[in-house]
Amino acid sequence: MVSMLERFNLHEKAGLRDNLAAVLMALLALPLWLKAGGVYGAAALALACLSFIRTHHLVERIRAAERQKCRLDQELIQSQKLASIGVFASGIAHEINNPIAIIGQEAQWIKHVMKGLDPQVCKGLPEMEDSLQEVLNQVNRCREITHKLLDFARKKDPLIQAADLNRLVDDMARLVEREAVSRNIKILRNYQPELPPLFTDPPLMRQVVLNLLNNAMQAVDRDGAVTVATRMSEKGFEVRVSDTGCGIPAEDLNRIFDPFFTTKPQGKGTGLGLSICHGIVTKLGGSIAVESEKGEGATFTIHLPEDNESHVCKSQSADSR
Amino acid sequence: MKDFRVLIVDDEPDFLETIVKRLKKRKIDASGVSSGKEALALLEAQVFDVVVLDVRMPGMDGIETLREMKRMRPVMEVIMLTGHASVESGMQGMQLGAFDYMMKPADIDELLEKIRQAYQRKSLHEDRLKEDKIIG
Repeated sequence: MVSMLERFNLHEKAGLRDNLAAVLMALLALPLWLKAGGVYGAAALALACLSFIRTHHLVERIRAAERQKCRLDQELIQSQKLASIGVFASGIAHEINNPIAIIGQEAQWIKHVMKGLDPQVCKGLPEMEDSLQEVLNQVNRCREITHKLLDFARKKDPLIQAADLNRLVDDMARLVEREAVSRNIKILRNYQPELPPLFTDPPLMRQVVLNLLNNAMQAVDRDGAVTVATRMSEKGFEVRVSDTGCGIPAEDLNRIFDPFFTTKPQGKGTGLGLSICHGIVTKLGGSIAVESEKGEGATFTIHLPEDNESHVCKSQSADSR
Repeated sequence: MKDFRVLIVDDEPDFLETIVKRLKKRKIDASGVSSGKEALALLEAQVFDVVVLDVRMPGMDGIETLREMKRMRPVMEVIMLTGHASVESGMQGMQLGAFDYMMKPADIDELLEKIRQAYQRKSLHEDRLKEDKIIG
């Protein structure tokens, strides 16, 4: 990541140098004009100006291309990183799942056996029961984490159906609204009306939107606003969730989609929510990005491609039955 | 679309009765039970395509029931019904594989539309499994 930034800076400097060269050329043409005077001089100056404009234009284009390439490189690195972490994490989750299941079963069995014991005879039984309950609670917690991990890396292909994106987003907004109101958080809606049908996996998309809304509300905590917006952009369907919360520090932005990355206190969040979102959106052929400045809130933007042929076919065959 | 079977699980008898009746009026083969335990017992014996499941029920709650249902019948789709939306339970439900959430009071046409979509998804899923079997 650092090397890419350096490269980017180098190009910025090169651009500046090229611009300076063009200005110099124009300056050099000035004495020529003074010396030659009249038509030739004016022509020389005009040519110099033209070359300046042309160079400037070219430099701008190169810079834009470089910026674009940097962004694409970054996205590629990000998705490769997430994919490899996903494989690794699901491997561990798979291995740990079975022992956890056995611990859980044995603990359940002990609980069952203990029910038949006489507290009069067996002293300390209530304490043992308490401890055992705690073992079971922790087993459940582990199980939840491993399931989330397996979910995150799940290879299952999405099931594509036609959906009304505004409707889908608003259903999730309604789901969080009551809790939002109780914390004095306004849910602001900004939907572009009459969007074409979106071919996607609706439950997976709902999961993503709900996750983003939940994150946004946690970031605001109390007294603020969460804005949900949809529109068609040049990149296809767009969903944006922004909040007026605490924002994300610049150094965390690169890691925000990493599994287990969390800023919440231990035990409060698994740090899997956003990486699951990233995984789902990627699986649906789209992209998810974040913009934020500390103290200024954050905006998550999802882009989903417009429908393609194969999706349409699948859904039609289902309708015709 | 061929006929499909819907199971409604809700502990409020009035609501349950009304919704089953209204779905039947729209030519949907609907049945109703009033607890998670009853629903699971019925699922042992019968096949349903879509379940509409209340989140808050005494005894076994909606999330617990959903978890068990998805374990028993992974392809069957479940729509969660909630009167007092809690974000936490919504997140849990969606992660456990619920098809959708619906707020109470549920508009019957809206519910019907969601049931149809859930059924479509179940059919797509079955088709995929059949294809996989042929290829495998």
